[in-house]
Amino acid sequence: MKGKLEPAERQRLIEEGKNLKEGLVTLEEDLLKLTDELQQEAQCIPNMTHPDVPIGGEESSVIRKMVGSPCKFRFPVKDHLQLGKELDLLDFDAAAEVSGSKFYYLKNEAVMLEMGLINWTLSEVMKKGFTPLTTPEIVRSSVVEKCGFQPRGANTQVYSIEGSDQCLIGTAEIPVGGIHMDSIVAESLLPLKYVAFSHCFRTEAGAAGTATRGLYRVHQFSKVEMFVLCQPEESEFYHEELIKIEEDLFSSLGLHYKTLDMASGDLGAPAYRKFDVEAWMPGLERFGEISSASNCTDYQSRRLGIRYRPSEPSSTNSKKGKGSLPPPKFVHTLNATACAIPRMIVCLLENYQQEDGSVIIPEPLRPFMGGLQIIAPKSR
Amino acid sequence: MGVGGTTLQTLKLASLPSFSSSRFVFKPLPKTLTFSAPSRHGRTQRPPFPLLARALSAAPAVQTAPDETAVKPQWKAAIDFKWIRENKEAVALNIEKRNSNANLETVLQLYDKMTHLQKEVERLRGERNVVANKMKGKLEPAERQRLIEEGKNLKEGLVTLEEDLLKLTDELQQEAQCIPNMTHPDVPIGGEESSVIRKMVGSPCKFRFPVKDHLQLGKELDLLDFDAAAEVSGSKFYYLKNEAVMLEMGLINWTLSEVMKKGFTPLTTPEIVRSSVVEKCGFQPRGANTQVYSIEGSDQCLIGTAEIPVGGIHMDSIVAESLLPLKYVAFSHCFRTEAGAAGTATRGLYRVHQFSKVEMFVLCQPEESEFYHEELIKIEEDLFSSLGLHYKTLDMASGDLGAPAYRKFDVEAWMPGLERFGEISSASNCTDYQSRRLGIRYRPSEPSSTNSKKGKGSLPPPKFVHTLNATACAIPRMIVCLLENYQQEDGSVIIPEPLRPFMGGLQIIAPKSR
Repeated sequence: MKGKLEPAERQRLIEEGKNLKEGLVTLEEDLLKLTDELQQEAQCIPNMTHPDVPIGGEESSVIRKMVGSPCKFRFPVKDHLQLGKELDLLDFDAAAEVSGSKFYYLKNEAVMLEMGLINWTLSEVMKKGFTPLTTPEIVRSSVVEKCGFQPRGANTQVYSIEGSDQCLIGTAEIPVGGIHMDSIVAESLLPLKYVAFSHCFRTEAGAAGTATRGLYRVHQFSKVEMFVLCQPEESEFYHEELIKIEEDLFSSLGLHYKTLDMASGDLGAPAYRKFDVEAWMPGLERFGEISSASNCTDYQSRRLGIRYRPSEPSSTNSKKGKGSLPPPKFVHTLNATACAIPRMIVCLLENYQQEDGSVIIPEPLRPFMGGLQIIAPKSR
Repeated sequence: MGVGGTTLQTLKLASLPSFSSSRFVFKPLPKTLTFSAPSRHGRTQRPPFPLLARALSAAPAVQTAPDETAVKPQWKAAIDFKWIRENKEAVALNIEKRNSNANLETVLQLYDKMTHLQKEVERLRGERNVVANKMKGKLEPAERQRLIEEGKNLKEGLVTLEEDLLKLTDELQQEAQCIPNMTHPDVPIGGEESSVIRKMVGSPCKFRFPVKDHLQLGKELDLLDFDAAAEVSGSKFYYLKNEAVMLEMGLINWTLSEVMKKGFTPLTTPEIVRSSVVEKCGFQPRGANTQVYSIEGSDQCLIGTAEIPVGGIHMDSIVAESLLPLKYVAFSHCFRTEAGAAGTATRGLYRVHQFSKVEMFVLCQPEESEFYHEELIKIEEDLFSSLGLHYKTLDMASGDLGAPAYRKFDVEAWMPGLERFGEISSASNCTDYQSRRLGIRYRPSEPSSTNSKKGKGSLPPPKFVHTLNATACAIPRMIVCLLENYQQEDGSVIIPEPLRPFMGGLQIIAPKSR
């Protein structure tokens, strides 16, 4: 229509243009709807699975490592609730009035134990080159979704804030994953290794029964979390590094535990492979999960939009020149629990109880608790 | 949004020579602090949660419809209406000095109506009992029928009156709860500008180089990230990184340690609480411009201060006098909407939605609250002096007290980057304002032998405790103070001595080589 035309021709072209435009608008709307529908369906597809992951349900998980053995007690063993009551360390009753069930106050030496665990864990993981962080505990719900959680599903684990699109985090994995959202990281900066301390909030909707007593399942708790962003070919290496760090921490505390390679039916959607650590809890008379280390490969990074620019290729690339940077690739992300405080408190109280009702503090924690060696019964 | 230099940074942190292998970052609480030594200060250090009576059983957190506003109060404050009536001039004067919108006349009128209605209800109940008793005897059928009619009328009348009484009681509660606490006679009258300086410590440090604010220092030393947090969460959220994390942990640990030495019981608390508890402490979770975040689909809120869950510990109970004073030091995260707060006083860490805080809370006998108010402000001043801060303590004016406070001391510290003083703590004596709402009383011990009415069942009646709360450390503002005051010309920041043992011996936050 830019050239010189006969009026009739011009008119015909105008008509044709209008038709094309209307058709386009309709198609573009359809494309938008279709893209949304595709996204909705496709986002349900779980991550691929590592070939070595055992196939099956929970019972098919395989023990990778077993450390220690259940300590033998020469006296009746108490659970952490009874110890907590007798040593005036925990109050669930007052918290039930103030907040509801599955909330609690820590008191006295339990506060020192929480602070000691956090400080020691941060310290140990920082020595391994992780950057310490504290994070927001309120985040936009879209970030929660991008990490692979479902804030508004039925039986959601996620608390939402009234009147906003924000939620409370259930783990620092979410705000840390969000740090590099929608960005391209220089390859030279990888791997990025963070250790983050935060409070975590979980509704625990749908969780009931004996596996919920006391500190084992609560709505709010402190946690130290490790998070790694790396190049794809390195994620398996860092997965092994993360589980090693966890195992070293738990061994230092003298815990009896087993590391499990979780079966395919028990992986969360984001995880390519997941190692859980379960520690022996004599008061509960069973193993209880104290940590989880997941390799999410590019599941989260594709949703969070985290890519890196590979460095200049080797001189065998003949197409070198201005504007021919290699295309960005998605990073791999991993996350692992360094310390989930309430379950650690369960472990320490129950395993280190003495016949006289006191609890011994494991050596590595003592410097972080003012030298405290033992939590002793109080005279009344 | 890169994190330039992070890898190098973490290596550098790990290799600082002062860190011994087993005590890297967080130096232990000093050995003088102990729970096991017999030098523990008597009864006040380890009170069990002493419950002689708990009126309410725990109801589950209630689901409310989203549009249901709490018009009807679900709990009652034990307000002393007789006292208010007897002292109405003083109460009216107080309401005025506080710029409160409470309506005293309405309260008194409603109270009168209510007392009359109560008497009427009692009278009717009495008549109904008389009728019921008469019906027990032998009666003529006609007489019996007449009594039955009378009984029915009385019952209907009673039902109506009782409904009215309920409505009236609720209305009275709603109006009366607006009445602010009385005011200490020494409190200066007026608005914010009338607050009086009680104490001034130190003077603004003189810098021989251009002073940076905490945001710039935070950026250059890679300690803070507001940008990433704005994407992930929204404005006024932040990540602390590297040495700032150590600073936060060091401040919390040192503060807890220092206050525990003074005999306070350490606590960590729930950060989600029932909204009724928030109200009982004197806050308004659902008001316009509320500071309180609510949880969707429940009657729960996020706490803005540990004062709330700690105040709630002894809700609806009678504490043994021998256990008073109860002194708690609580560490929690705090969440505030900061709705309505805008302008320059909101930059960076100065005003944020989420922060760590160590809070002191005391429950005591009424005659002792002024003593403990002085003790709390002294503890705060000692803490701030130890950190080498330049600050002033203010006796807040009547127009600037919150409704619960009988008297309030604020501490403002000099922040060279902001070029002004900024509030870093607040210590309030709430007398019985909160305890009348939370239902916290104590049983005075046996009176002296001059009481001739001694005997079984004549225990003295329970009285309301007094409550006080005071900020031991609000971490973000403390970080502002420390970064801005201790900055050096080369861009580094010195760590005050008392904190170093709690930060693995770290003496200085130095710029990272890139």
